[in-house]
Amino acid sequence: MASTTTITKGLVILYKNNPWLVADAQFVNPGKGGAFTRTRLKNLKTDQLIEITFRSGEAVETLETLRKKCQYLYNDGANYHFMDNESYEQFDFSKSIIADAKNYLIDGTECYALYIEGKPVSIQIPPKMTFTVMQTTPGVKGDTATGGSKEATIESGAVIKVPLFIKEGEKIIVNTEEGTYVSKG
Amino acid sequence: MKNHLHLAIARAEFEQQIRNFFKKRDFVEVQTPIMVKTPGMEPHLNVFETKFYDKNCPRRTPAATGGGKSAEGGPRYLNHSPELQMKKLLGHKNPFDKTDHFEKIFQITKVFRNGEIGGPLHSPEFTMLEWYRKNADYKTLMTDCENLITTLQTTLNFKSEFSMQPAARTLQQSPWPRISTQELFQKHTGTSLLKNRTYKQLKKAAKKLDLPIKSCKTWDDIFFTIFLNKIEPNLPKTPIFITDYPASQAALARLKSNEPFFAERFELYINGIELCNAFSELTDPKEQRKRLIKEQRQRKKMGKTVFPIDEDFLKALKNLHTSKTTAAGCAFGLDRLLMVLINKQNIEDVLFFPL
Repeated sequence: MASTTTITKGLVILYKNNPWLVADAQFVNPGKGGAFTRTRLKNLKTDQLIEITFRSGEAVETLETLRKKCQYLYNDGANYHFMDNESYEQFDFSKSIIADAKNYLIDGTECYALYIEGKPVSIQIPPKMTFTVMQTTPGVKGDTATGGSKEATIESGAVIKVPLFIKEGEKIIVNTEEGTYVSKG
Repeated sequence: MKNHLHLAIARAEFEQQIRNFFKKRDFVEVQTPIMVKTPGMEPHLNVFETKFYDKNCPRRTPAATGGGKSAEGGPRYLNHSPELQMKKLLGHKNPFDKTDHFEKIFQITKVFRNGEIGGPLHSPEFTMLEWYRKNADYKTLMTDCENLITTLQTTLNFKSEFSMQPAARTLQQSPWPRISTQELFQKHTGTSLLKNRTYKQLKKAAKKLDLPIKSCKTWDDIFFTIFLNKIEPNLPKTPIFITDYPASQAALARLKSNEPFFAERFELYINGIELCNAFSELTDPKEQRKRLIKEQRQRKKMGKTVFPIDEDFLKALKNLHTSKTTAAGCAFGLDRLLMVLINKQNIEDVLFFPL
């Protein structure tokens, strides 16, 4: 059993007799009514997404999981295909299971697969990844009306807000959880 | 990366317009201490504690301190709200000078809440606007809120990325809907608070809603679990006043005369974000003392620091009570209001150096 104050993103819990991946967890101590954890849970059997707020102290059961290194291969339009780095076994996930991680997958991306009872159920990408900027407009000096930022398309296809000095072809580090620019790569 | 200069200009202009609003309506701006001997007693709030040292000070005699109240060594606390201090001013009475009293006061100050973190809406230090009116109740304060925000929308004109957003401009049609917690629970969950006044009853209702309530020890715990899961996520983006909270959640507020299970308290939500907390003030010092003692017990039970009762605060209430003066006050989170007005999603977007 885990107390919900320690519910964290990536954990798998048993709730209402179903395994749920904690897609998002936010501990909030608001100063009225006591602390709580706001969660987004994904049902690993049905893909259903729900939002539940647990009071701090509410106990939930966690499920044994295994994290294994894998590699992204390709997507066939509907599903995203991966390969286990040790066994070379291949498996795939639907778009909805991959969620936001799909914005940062390029052929060969090293990531982790989450296994429950021997079955791969979800994917975790590194929180910080380096990408080449494929397309962006030249920065105009002194243009601060836009907050000193512009849009850049990275090689995975995602569009990231970057500082004006970033040029096409340069490498940048991206925070894949927030979808934000971190620094030059 | 936010532009700090633009943020500074926006914040200064924002606070200036708020000051103008209250001065135009004959409010007196006050500045009460940030560090106090007795903070408010709210059971769920944790305060920042510090200590006043007097070990190295020369022995204080009435002459050395100018004959006034001398500062004693001991614990001091950073205010989580200037509420008690402001009500002391509101109840201030000068037997030698009848003109020395306050009718309407406001303050913009920093407040501190220990451990208050999590999500895009919380910071352990934030800016609070509080205002108090004599001879008024919480309904007047709701109108104040509407007038303040619509005035800010028409007067503020930031020329930077902190510009007013079209979404915020559409807030203007007032009066804004006012809905009681009783109606709100009925509407979103089919649960009547009045018919579920006991812990057992409300627990049964929450179970029917399929909510995690094993850890709920009190009626209020269950109330919040239902509120957070079934109501808050479904609040409209447009402004809404949630009124008449259960009396157990309004220790400083006046009870509703027709239904004392509820108190005359409201919160304003815009965009699903709670912006303020306000009520018709309880002015009966005896009743107030009872409720403070109850909160002291609650704090002790929860393992939190138990504060002494602020006798000056009760004296001020007594002054209001004997002169049959009603009062009402509102505490408004200014960082959140700025967020809503300029459509920022995170409180850190409007703070300089988030803690």
